[in-house]
Amino acid sequence: MREGLLERRNIFLIGCGVSSLVADTLREQAVKENAAVAFFYFEFAAQEEQSPSALLASVLKQVVGELEEVPERIVRAFRDRGRVVGDQRLLPSEIVEFLQDISSSRCIFICIDALDECSSGHREDLLDLLNHILQNSPDIRLFMTGRPHILSEVEEHLSGRTATRAITPIEDDVITFLRAKLKEDTIPDAMDESLEEEIMRNIPETVGET
Amino acid sequence: MSQYHFNDDLNPFNISSFGSVWDDPLVTNERLEILAWLSPLEPRVRHEDIRTRRVNEVGDWLLKTEEYRKWLGDVRGGGSDRAALFCYGGPGVGKTYIR
Repeated sequence: MREGLLERRNIFLIGCGVSSLVADTLREQAVKENAAVAFFYFEFAAQEEQSPSALLASVLKQVVGELEEVPERIVRAFRDRGRVVGDQRLLPSEIVEFLQDISSSRCIFICIDALDECSSGHREDLLDLLNHILQNSPDIRLFMTGRPHILSEVEEHLSGRTATRAITPIEDDVITFLRAKLKEDTIPDAMDESLEEEIMRNIPETVGET
Repeated sequence: MSQYHFNDDLNPFNISSFGSVWDDPLVTNERLEILAWLSPLEPRVRHEDIRTRRVNEVGDWLLKTEEYRKWLGDVRGGGSDRAALFCYGGPGVGKTYIR
């Protein structure tokens, strides 16, 4: 039981929880500040499909989706190529260009979750592309989460352009999370006060041990 | 004033309304076709899934850290050489669990 809870707790504190929280917080601010927010969740199971160009295309789609009108250049590209046989897609270099165009009139936030789940080959290419984008577009901002083993790789490819922050579960978060989950218990009879007390006492103590 | 308008589509309880454009009756078919052409992916479905399982206030401390505020604050202030923020968390974080 303890293991199960610990496992879940970590997901919400470190993994998607953080990216999703940041993306939503940014979206709320974006409404006021004329910004666009795009996010991308990497998954081990989808390593083949989740290429750098798939990520960029998804980001562009989300950003364009927040504009009142599709930029003329994108409409033209679609009319020229989107409807021809073979359904030619945009090249990564074109996507980068379009994103840069849009970022001249509004901030773009890109949130990438679980970068470590991107295949290593794809990840190097992606980081180089992102570095290129950031270099040329001061109004594009990037938020990423991942496991520590890719820290040096991220720093190397985004040299001087990235700040880093270690995320460790904090006890308050674990307590808040546990209380919320215990309330959701579908078999309330299985829980009594002493068990709840024991859970609340023992699990937060293990914070940082995993 | 920008040429663009930001649609207010924050609605945590209704997945289908998350993508603002889908609800707009004035949306043209071509707009939808273009979006579908740009990318077949729908990351918002996954985002909604995760969002509904998040617990209020958990993780909020991150938003108050200097690193985060600086990264965000720099946006409003204009150009900065730290356009990216990488948050890393320990091994064994159990990301597989949610799949």
